[in-house]
Formats: sequence, C-alpha cells, structure tokens
Amino acid sequence: METTIKKPSVFTAMGAVFKKEFKIAFRYPTWFISMLIWPILLPLGYVFTAKALSGTDTSSLVSFATLTGTSDYKTYMLIGTVMWSWMNSILWSFGTSLRVEQVRGTLESNWLCPVPKISLLLGYSLFDMIFSIIYIPIIVLEFKLVYNFHFVGSPLLALLVLLVSIPAVYGIGFIFASLVMWVKEANSMVFLVRGMIMVFCGITYPLAVLPNWMRNVSKFIPITYSINALRAVITEGVSVGDIKSEIFILLIFGAVLMTLGLLAFNYTQKRVKSSGSLGQY
Amino acid sequence: MLGYAIEVNDLRKEFQVKKKNEHFWKKKNKEKEIFVAVDNINFDVKKGEIFGFLGPNGAGKTTTIKMISTLLRPTSGTIIVNGENVVENPIKALTNIGTVLAGERSTYWKLTGRENLEYFAAMHGITGKKAREKTDYLLKRLELDKRADETVEKYSTGMKQRVALAKALIAEPNILILDEPTSGLDPQSARNLREIILEIKEEGRTIFLTTHYMEEADQLSDRIGIIDHGKIIALDTPQNLKNNLNKTNIINLELDNWTEDVLEKIKEIPAIENVTSKFNENTQNFEVKVHVSNGSETVSNLITSTISSGIKIINFRVEEPTLEDVFINLTGKSLRE
Repeated sequence: METTIKKPSVFTAMGAVFKKEFKIAFRYPTWFISMLIWPILLPLGYVFTAKALSGTDTSSLVSFATLTGTSDYKTYMLIGTVMWSWMNSILWSFGTSLRVEQVRGTLESNWLCPVPKISLLLGYSLFDMIFSIIYIPIIVLEFKLVYNFHFVGSPLLALLVLLVSIPAVYGIGFIFASLVMWVKEANSMVFLVRGMIMVFCGITYPLAVLPNWMRNVSKFIPITYSINALRAVITEGVSVGDIKSEIFILLIFGAVLMTLGLLAFNYTQKRVKSSGSLGQY
Repeated sequence: MLGYAIEVNDLRKEFQVKKKNEHFWKKKNKEKEIFVAVDNINFDVKKGEIFGFLGPNGAGKTTTIKMISTLLRPTSGTIIVNGENVVENPIKALTNIGTVLAGERSTYWKLTGRENLEYFAAMHGITGKKAREKTDYLLKRLELDKRADETVEKYSTGMKQRVALAKALIAEPNILILDEPTSGLDPQSARNLREIILEIKEEGRTIFLTTHYMEEADQLSDRIGIIDHGKIIALDTPQNLKNNLNKTNIINLELDNWTEDVLEKIKEIPAIENVTSKFNENTQNFEVKVHVSNGSETVSNLITSTISSGIKIINFRVEEPTLEDVFINLTGKSLRE
C-alpha cells in the first residue's frame, strides 16, 4: 500500500477551521443573545455615573468639551466601549482558541494534521474577523437605537481606522493565544489585559485626566490610538489627514506586534513539543 | 513487502522534573531532576505488519508514540517514517501517518460524525466531492452511517472510538498508529474494532499498536516489542516469545489465604522466578501464579511451603505460557499493574 498524500495549503486549513468554528458557534445559541445585550449594558453604568456627576447644570459639559473637543459624552464613551468590547471578544475567543482546543482534547488531533500549525490560529483569526465585521455594525445600530449614538464624520474613515487597527489587535491576540497555551490559564490573563486597556486607554475619559506616568504607559498600547482616531472621526468629523499620525503609529504597532505574535507562537510550539505539555490540561 | 515503515534509532526522551517547594514563599529550589522516559531504544516496524508495543503504565509507550507522530521532540536519536525524518520534516512525515491517541476526546463532540470527518479531511488537503465520498465510505465501513448526522456527544464510547479511527483513516495513510484503541470498550465493540484493524492490515497498511490487553496483542500482532522503564526488553513474534519461555513452567495455585510471609517463603525456594497474586471476588480465593525454571523439582517445595504456612490449596494446575506470562517473566509484573 503506497498512497501519496498532498500537503494541504494554509488557506485550505484556514477555511476548514473557519467552517468548523462557525458550526460549533451556532450550536451554542445563548452566547449570541448575551453578545447582543452586553454592549448595551456595559456603557449604562458609565453614562449614569456621568449624569450623577454633571447634574442638571450643563456647565460640567463645558469642562468635558474643553478636554475632549465634544460635549456629546455618550458617543465619546460609546466609542471607547466598542473598542474595549472588540478587544475583549478577541481575548476571549481568538486569544483562548488554542486553550479551548486543549480543554476540548482536540489540540493534538489538529497538531497531527500535515499543515503548518499557525494555520489553526489563522483560521481562528479569520472566523473572528468576519464575526467582528458583522458584530461591530450591529453594536453601532444598537447604540443608535438605545443611546442616540451620533455619527458626525465619515463611516468609511471610521472603518479605515478599524482596518488599520486589525494587525495590532490580532498581534496582541497571537501573543495572548501563545501564552495561554503555555501557562494553561486564561481567565486571570484576560482580566489583567482588558483591565489594563480599560484604565490606560481612556475608554470613558480623556487621557488628559490621567497622571503623567499613566499617560506615558498609554502611549505603548495601540488601542489608545484607535480610540483617539475613532473619536476624532466620529465626534469631530476630521479628515484622513488629521489622523495620519495615528494611522501610521497603528501600522507600526501592527507590524511589531504581529512579528512578536508569530515569534511567541513558534517559541511556544517548540516549548510544548519539547516538554510534552501540548495536550495537557 | 520490502523495507521499513518506521525506523527508530537510539531514541531517547528526557523530561526535566522541577522539585516543588512546600510553600510558595520559600526561596525557589533551583534543583531539577532528569527523568528518562525513553532510554536509547532501537526497533524497526516492517511495512504491512502489525507491530504490538507493550509495556506497563509509565513504561514509555505513549512517549514513544508521541515522538513518532511528531507531537513530542526527542532528546536524541532519530525516527524515520516512510523515509522521512520526523524531526527534520514533520509535516511530510505526517502525510504518511494516521493516529488514534488514547482517550476518547480527540474529535469535536459538538460536530456530527460526518462534520468531524469532513473537517479532518480538509486538514489533510481533501475537500469537496472527494472529501464527501471518503467520508461516506468510512461512515458506512465503520457502521456509523445511520447516526452520521448526530453530534458526537450523543454517541456511545465505541462509536466515538470508531469516529476517531475514521478520522485517522480519512487521508488513507500508509501507517496507522493506535494507542490503546479498545480501551474502555465493551467486549462486543472491542471485538468489532479488532476485526476492523485486521481488515486495515489486509489492505497493506502498517499498524503500530499499543494495548493493555495481552490476548489482543497476541491475536493481532505479527511482532511484539516489550518496553519497560524506557528500554525495549524483548522484541519478537508472539510465538517465539512464548517458545523462549517454554523452559519455564507456569504454576497456578488457588488458595484460601495469602500473606506477605508466604510470599517471602515461596520466593526463597530455588528456581522460583516470579510470583504474582490477585484476589478473586467471585470465589473469595487468592489466585497465585508462579513462574519456575525447574518444574518437577520445585512443585513439591512449593506445595510444602504453602501448606506448612497453614494455607489450604484449593486448586493446582501447570499451564502453557501465554503472552501475559512472557510479560510477567520479563518485567516481574502484570501488564495492568
């Protein structure tokens, strides 16, 4: 018996992972309902806190507008929470994908397939990106209906900001996925990373209110630039020329973080193959 | 059939075992111990044969299987699978191998049997009509076709194991690696799976099999390698292994009692090689198996020692050696210990 098997391409494997994850996702329909409700609930606490602080007097909004360039505090906060929710969903789904396979007991089965192992992670990222493309407009629509979300600038320019954020966001996801496969504990790491983003990136407040050292830290987190650029586009209606430095910085972050992500994946792969911990819980 | 499907040369795997501190706040203990799981083993698996790989728990079976199937990197030595070095060219080596690892959670329980096979077909580069045809064929062959569109979580353990086998066969590999394939199955499902394994062999595929069941290894294997403490301690056909033991007599005793003192007393008798015992819940008696190298002279000593210890002999018989006896003779313990 001599059969010759062709090696599948990375794209075939990515497509297979995408299709598989799509089917599995729709066999747990309740998570989709929570994904629709969560973006509405999350900003409510911030909006009511803002209302309690500003009271009926609009003078506090003047101070807010001086710091942020807009008095539309709801839209301002919603933009931050969209970016935070996106990052949060990537950490939970894409970032924990290899760990989920490990817990399911299927990681070794996938490792036994004659494909570059990175294609598994790329397949997950494809699923996640397509999910985000559908999910983010749904959130924006929900915001429009519930919070009267006000879009001043060009939606296409906002989309461009999201697109140039993808390499940096997924770079973080690659690093995260590799680390989680290694340390085998996802929850505490998700809470730590999303907590850092929540505090340092100005999700609900301008960075100007932060102490100097915190502002310096925020410069090293790409989400800060995505939020700044999106706020400038959506609330102030700026042109592409006004946010070119943010776009440039996001692309640099993307290149660096994707490279670090791939290196982290390769290192983790070698390490678990040497220690024999690939299939371990 | 010429040539080797698997060639293992001087294969060694060491693991570093960190010594844990009793309390996390104490100064870190930097000491590391080296545990040798596989100790410079050599063997070849001929093309088209079923090679049984036996050993007690922790002997190095699964570590060896994981190194052959590229999941684990050897510390030293080489593994050649169908001419491909698994360390230097793992992806090419994997195109020759289908693997069923121990345990039933190797497929997606939230997917149907059919979806699982189509997924793993795509992960082997088989898509579209060809994937559907292969999936249909394997589902029918492994008698999964009637429930092919139900999620795997609803399958019995035997069905889950057949899905795992179908997954390993989806790309028609030359070599099939099966790690304890019948473990946890009821006797009927285990018998069906053994028949399928023999059919796969008839197709000309090479099968590397580990099992806890001696009768299974005896029935299926063309050759058997026995590993203990990371070393290969015997490698031959089942018949030759048993023939080599012929000079040894196997004496089975059924006793109403059994103590450590009697064991020590029996072990002192010259020509006694191994003694194993187990309690039979049904008869409420102890079954003791004694390997002796000089049957006729030892029997009387054995009986005298037992009776003088106040133990009643309920049954006594001398048997032909089985593969289990070969194993006990070589390792000093039963396979399932």
